[in-house]
Amino acid sequence: MARRLMLALFSALFVLYVAGPVLWLLSSSLQMESEITAVPPNWLPPHPGLHNFTAIFTAGDSAEYANRGIAGFLPSGAANLLPSLYNSLKVGLWVAALNLVFSLTAAYAIAVIDFKGRRATLYTVLATRVIPDIALVVPLFLVIRNLGLINSIGALVVTYLAITVPFTIFILISYFEGIPRDLYRACRIDGCGHWGALRHVYLPLSLPALVAALMFAFLTSWNEFLFALVLTQNVAAQTLPIIIAGFVMDFTTSFSFVNAAGVIAILPPVLLAILFQRYIVSGLTAGAVKG
Amino acid sequence: MPGRFSYDNRSAAILVFPVLAVLLVVAAFPILYSFWVSLHDIVLTRPLRRPFVGLENYGRMLADPRFHTAVLRTTLYTVVTVSVTTVLAIGVALLLNENFRGNKLLNALLLLPWATPSIVNGLMWKWIYDPTYGLLNAVLVQLGLLESYRAWLGDPDLTLLLISNAAIWKQMPLAALLLIVTMKAIPEDLYRAAKVDGANVVQRFIHVTLPALRPGLMLVLVYETMISIRHFDLFLIMTQGGPGDASYTLSWLIYVETFRSLRFGTGAALSYLLAMLTFLLSWLFIRFLGERRG
Repeated sequence: MARRLMLALFSALFVLYVAGPVLWLLSSSLQMESEITAVPPNWLPPHPGLHNFTAIFTAGDSAEYANRGIAGFLPSGAANLLPSLYNSLKVGLWVAALNLVFSLTAAYAIAVIDFKGRRATLYTVLATRVIPDIALVVPLFLVIRNLGLINSIGALVVTYLAITVPFTIFILISYFEGIPRDLYRACRIDGCGHWGALRHVYLPLSLPALVAALMFAFLTSWNEFLFALVLTQNVAAQTLPIIIAGFVMDFTTSFSFVNAAGVIAILPPVLLAILFQRYIVSGLTAGAVKG
Repeated sequence: MPGRFSYDNRSAAILVFPVLAVLLVVAAFPILYSFWVSLHDIVLTRPLRRPFVGLENYGRMLADPRFHTAVLRTTLYTVVTVSVTTVLAIGVALLLNENFRGNKLLNALLLLPWATPSIVNGLMWKWIYDPTYGLLNAVLVQLGLLESYRAWLGDPDLTLLLISNAAIWKQMPLAALLLIVTMKAIPEDLYRAAKVDGANVVQRFIHVTLPALRPGLMLVLVYETMISIRHFDLFLIMTQGGPGDASYTLSWLIYVETFRSLRFGTGAALSYLLAMLTFLLSWLFIRFLGERRG
C-alpha cells in the first residue's frame, strides 16, 4: 500500500514536471493576447480557438491581416513561417533518406566485412562525433561561403548528414552484430555477394533499427539551430527554428503568436517520438552505448 | 589473408566511401582548416589582409577578461546542469524501472522533452519566466511563496541557473533512458541476496544499484558534460549573454567574436580551445570512472 502511494505520488510529480511546461505552452497558444496577459493567468483557455495560428499563417496576406483587427503585434517575419516550415520538411526528409542509405552501407561494411582499414574507418567515424558543433561552425561557415553555398538547402543537408551519420552508424552496427552470422554464411553459400547479403539478410531483419535511424536523422535536422543560423540568410533556405528565434528575439512580437509558432514547431517531432517510441528508445540506447 | 583488391576489400571500399566523403568534407577538413584560420588574423571586414600571426590569437584570447568570465560561467552552468540532470535522471530511472500500471504512459511521456526543439524549449521557459505574465511568478505568488512579481531572467544571480533549468528539462530524458537500460541489466539475484542479508531499500540502492550503475553513470556524465559545455541555443534565445555578462559563456563568446565582430581568427582559436577542453574532460571521466571496468 505504501509502495503504491509512493509510486502514484512520484508518477504525478513526473507527469507535472515533464508535461506541465508543454501543456502551458499549448494552453497559452489557444488564448487571445488579452487572455494570456491576465493576472492571475487563465490556466485553461476561456475561449479556446486557433486564431493565433490562422493569424501567423495568413500573415503574408497583408490586406486580410489588416482587416482582422487582432489585438497584438505580428512581426513581418511571420510571412516567412510557411516557407520555413516547407524548408524544414524538405531538409528533414532529405537528411533522413540519405542518412539511411549512407549509414546502412557503412554499418554493413564495418559490422560484417573484415576489410583492410576497418578499425581506421570506425575511429574516423567515432572521432567526428566528439567534435563540438560550436568548434565546427566557424570553419564550416568559411568553407561553405568559399564554395558559394551559403543559404542553400544542399549545404544544410550535407552538414546535417555529417552530424547524424556517425550516430546512426552506431545504432545499425550494434543491431547488425545481433543478427546470427549463420544467415549471412548461408546467403554467401547460396551465391549472393555483399550487396545480396545486405539486401536479403540484413535489410529485412533490421527494420526496427532502420526506423530508429530515420527518426533520429529527421528529428535532429528538424530541431537543429546553430548551423541553420550561420549557414542560411533568408527565406530561400531558413528553417523553422530560425524564424521562431526571430519571433522570440523581436520584443514587439506578442507572446500569443510566439507560443503558437512554438506549438507548430513542437508538434511534428513530439508526435513522431511518441508514435515510434519503442524504436527510438532502443535506437538511442544502442547508439549511445556503442558510441 | 585476402589480397588488397579482394572482393571483400573492394566491396567495403564502395560501401564506406559515401560516409567517409561526407565526413571528410564537412568535419575533418573544416577542423584542420580551422587550425590554419586560428593562426591568421582573419577579419571578414578586411578580406584581403590576412597575415600569419602564429599563436597570437590564442594568447590574446587567454589574456582577454571576457574569456575568463566565459570560462567561469561555462563551468558553473556545466556543473549545475550535469549534476542536477544526473541526480534527477537516477530518480526518474528508479521510478520507471518499477512495474506498475501506467508505466508505459510515463515512458512515452519521457520522450516529450527530448523531442522538443531547443528553440521551443527556450521560448517556452522564457514565457514561464516572463516578468509580468509568466507562470512562475503567478504560481509562487498564489502559493504565497513570493511577495510580488520578479524579473527572473533579469536577475544576474539567477539567470544562469534558470537557463540551466531549461537545459536540464530537455536533457534529463536521454540520461534517464541510458540509466534504465543499465538498471535492467542488474541481475535480480543481487537484490534477493541483499534482502536475505537484511538490507533495506536505501542500503540496497547504495550497495547494489549504485555500483552496478557505474558504466551507465559514466556514459551519462560524459554525454551531459559534452552537451552542456558547448551549449549555445538557449543562451541566444533567452538572454544573449546578459544581463550584463551574467550568462556570457564560451559558446556565446565564440559566436559574438566570430559572427558579430567578424574576427574569424580569434573565433577559430577559441573553438579549438573549447574542443580541446571537451576532449580533456571526457578523457578524464573515462580514466577515473571507467578504470574499474577495464
